[in-house]
Amino acid sequence: MEVLRLHNLQKSFGSVRALKSASFTLNEGEVVALLGDNGAGKSTLIKAISGVFPVDRGDIYVRGQRVSIRSTRDAMDLGIETIHQDTSLAPDLSIARNLFLGREPVNLKWLGVFAPLDLAQLRDAASALLKRVGISKKLDADALVSTLSGGERQSIAISRAMQFAAKVIILDEPTNNLGVEETHGVLRFVKEVRDAGHSVLLITHNIHHVFQVADRIIVMRRGEIVAEQTVADTDLLTVESIITGADMSALLKETRAK
Amino acid sequence: MTIAAEEEMPRAKRRSSLIRSPQFSSLVILIVLLAVFAIADANFLSPLNISNMMAFLPELGIIALGMTLLLTAGEFDLSVGAVFGLAPVVVMLLVQNGGVDIGVALLAGLLLCIAIGAINGLIVTKIGISSFLVTLSMLLVVRGAALYITQGFPLKSWDQPGFFVTLLAGSFNIGTFRFYTSLWWFIGLSLLAIYVLRYAKLGNWISAIGSNRNAAVARGVPADAVKIWLFILTSVLAGLAGMISAFRISAASPVAGTGYELEVIAMVVVGGTALTGGRGTIFGTIVGALMLRSIRNGIVLIGVPGLAYNIFVGVIILAMLILHALLQKNAARS
Ligand SMILES: Nc1ncnc2c1ncn2[C@@H]1O[C@H](COP(=O)(O)OP(=O)(O)O)[C@@H](O)[C@H]1O
Ligand SMILES: [Mg+2]
Repeated sequence: MEVLRLHNLQKSFGSVRALKSASFTLNEGEVVALLGDNGAGKSTLIKAISGVFPVDRGDIYVRGQRVSIRSTRDAMDLGIETIHQDTSLAPDLSIARNLFLGREPVNLKWLGVFAPLDLAQLRDAASALLKRVGISKKLDADALVSTLSGGERQSIAISRAMQFAAKVIILDEPTNNLGVEETHGVLRFVKEVRDAGHSVLLITHNIHHVFQVADRIIVMRRGEIVAEQTVADTDLLTVESIITGADMSALLKETRAK
Repeated sequence: MTIAAEEEMPRAKRRSSLIRSPQFSSLVILIVLLAVFAIADANFLSPLNISNMMAFLPELGIIALGMTLLLTAGEFDLSVGAVFGLAPVVVMLLVQNGGVDIGVALLAGLLLCIAIGAINGLIVTKIGISSFLVTLSMLLVVRGAALYITQGFPLKSWDQPGFFVTLLAGSFNIGTFRFYTSLWWFIGLSLLAIYVLRYAKLGNWISAIGSNRNAAVARGVPADAVKIWLFILTSVLAGLAGMISAFRISAASPVAGTGYELEVIAMVVVGGTALTGGRGTIFGTIVGALMLRSIRNGIVLIGVPGLAYNIFVGVIILAMLILHALLQKNAARS
């Protein structure tokens, strides 16, 4: 079933046409990898979906309904959770406080921003979540995020997205700056998220990761989607040639002949 | 320790992290300093001297509360000392030269402080200039305005007792101690600030914004609005402190509060709040305010030559900061 559909999204920064035209569909329980070189427009595309800035043109549909996403809050309310490149957690806050940042459980709701946090619920929910997502090493909900490793931070950010029953979880280069083991942890986690019924849009430029976790591949080049294929129907070299735009068919034939 | 973790820990763990926290080490040093001063000069703990310290303490302390919240959100305000000077000058001018009712004049002063804070906040957040540059310029504008409208002369005192004077600068005796109502203001505002920073949703936002602004914004936290309101709050508290001071000494000087911005920031960072944002502690700020006040008071009593005061104050501040940095390093390693 279709969860998210983009139709002809466009976005320019001054004279830079970061997003010329992007249309694609994301289905339920599917991991779609968004590939492309640096500057291809991947981050711009997902920032538009997650409400960081408005698009110039184009439509976004969530479960068939046309929606307008004007703020990060709008996107979150529609069930779209995004884990941005390097910037998703506040290191000086505890894991529990990070998990609920922007959606804090409070008592005396009528006090608005001055309402007291429901610390018991905050702690319990955070512990339960950490247990449920089964992050390898036991993490303490009260530990400061600054004491965690890069992989643990990514896992926390992904758990946060899961906790609000997000329909769509968008990961922008989640394995950047991670060690080998941590990278595998995050990829395993992505599969678990999918198996739990969420749809995942995974942005990366590491093509090997894609073949480990993705169901479908979308390739962007210079602000446009240039290819869309299921993983089963393609291979590493083909995808690589599409990303770079180089004519690798000759090379491809050579390899296949061997 | 940051506000984020301490109330959520099991007791034993909480105790050990509390002992390693910067506000705790500040408290220990404060106690040592008080003991040294008390032993060196018996007058240090005399009712008269304590009353004196408690009269000065709230005036800078109140500003320091606002500055702590602002620093925790990752910004600071160098214009507080100038606002401290300008607000009472404007109020007094309106009353004495304009024939305006004191209540109305105070309201005008309040609006002026709100406007100054809002301008600071809007330029910092919407145009994206660093708060150092914006509030440094504002310091010059505000101080310049105070000097210009008074032609550089202190204003004649406001010494008619009345509701507002009692409210802001009334005094009362407890035994042989003499306290000002400003102390209640400081205590009340401190409790409020502790509540907001540690227990309220807003405090979570303030720490998150200072710790990683983009992360907070991505979670739907209105970072710019929070910062603008904190700039307004800090300005208003500076104006309030200025009024309290002017009423207490029955005079409004256009140069009042000169250099207070640095003294206030020193109080805040000595207490353990990080200059880089994300980690703030109101309790630490109260300790810091007490510490700087008692140092200034104590070194006079123990006979340090007047011109050498700042050497001592500076050295003690540096020592505190080094201590915090070492503790921070230690905590990161363990
Ligand atoms: N905020 C911005 N202002 C101006 N240009 C931008 C901005 N964000 C991205 N761009 C430009 O848009 C293009 C696409 O960038 P981006 O979406 O970040 O690519 P990717 O994530 O695929 O590496 C690049 O040329 C980049 O320089
Ligand atoms: Mg990118």
